[in-house]
Amino acid sequence: MTPITSETGHVGAITEAAVQDVILEAMRLANLARDNGAQLEISAAAPIFGPDSALDSLGLVALLLDIEDGLRAIGYEVVLSDERAMSQKRSPFRNVPALVAYITSVARG
Amino acid sequence: MPDRHVLITGATRGIGEALAAHCLEAGDLVVGCGRSAPAISHDRYTHFEVDVTDAKAVDGVFRELKRRFKRLDVLINNAGIGGMNAIALTPVDAARRIVETNFLAAFNFTREALRMMRGSPAGRIVNISTVAVPMRLEGEAVYAASKSAIETFTRIAAREVAPFGVTCNAVGPCPIKTRLTAAVPADKIQALIDRQAVRRWGAAQDVVNVVEFFLRPESAMVTGQVIYLGGAG
Repeated sequence: MTPITSETGHVGAITEAAVQDVILEAMRLANLARDNGAQLEISAAAPIFGPDSALDSLGLVALLLDIEDGLRAIGYEVVLSDERAMSQKRSPFRNVPALVAYITSVARG
Repeated sequence: MPDRHVLITGATRGIGEALAAHCLEAGDLVVGCGRSAPAISHDRYTHFEVDVTDAKAVDGVFRELKRRFKRLDVLINNAGIGGMNAIALTPVDAARRIVETNFLAAFNFTREALRMMRGSPAGRIVNISTVAVPMRLEGEAVYAASKSAIETFTRIAAREVAPFGVTCNAVGPCPIKTRLTAAVPADKIQALIDRQAVRRWGAAQDVVNVVEFFLRPESAMVTGQVIYLGGAG
């Protein structure tokens, strides 16, 4: 399934570094509301969703919506929806590098 | 006075129009969607002439809503079409239109609206079902099935949106004199009314009453529910 995306109000392609910043900031924000024993690892290689992460499916939804907000704040209107979302092996949301690559490709159309 | 930001699909006539008028009366900012021109003219009413099954057009509506209103408090998935026909005589395209309008459009609006409801102090999603679901009416298989989908969607959505402080409920109207029921033979409607506990036609205001109950801040613990009018179910 093709993700539904749109880009508004921004000239030039988004960089992977900018996307990674938005993702890590959203993960830091998520940690503020999480117990000490369920903190998300904040790093460029960190897992996001799957057996190595404490994030459940509802937590993933909240995180992705925060990431959408962060992307909107820098001028990119992106809706993160993908039929592989809950797949352990193929989910574009499984770790930070996969999500950076996914968002970058979506935002660039 | 409430100052909720309310989005209503199918707002140009019938129940949707009554819901829009009620919310405007209550002091809300109301956005209506419909295939035809607006029935309401009000300084707090904005209308989008759009086919709710057109995902690209709906995407445009939400982009505009985000730009103009930032936040959404209430989504009422009211747009719906009927079609009384025997299963054996129903063209697949007619069935597809009913499912796309009654279920898939509500799913898409819910998906988009959730993104705008996170800034709301009391997000509310209200779907419209029908007494045809519990009554299992012959000739209403596709229509009732599409509304059964809405009921299951409502119950599961209630669980998924609760962490965001949003409730999701549905109201199942009994027959109400709208364009949708005008196409149903009078004897069929009467047979249905005769099976209700309260044996009379409903009014759009009966639906408004239940919806307003769902929208109240005090109803934060009411979610995943389907309320039928007239005592069906």
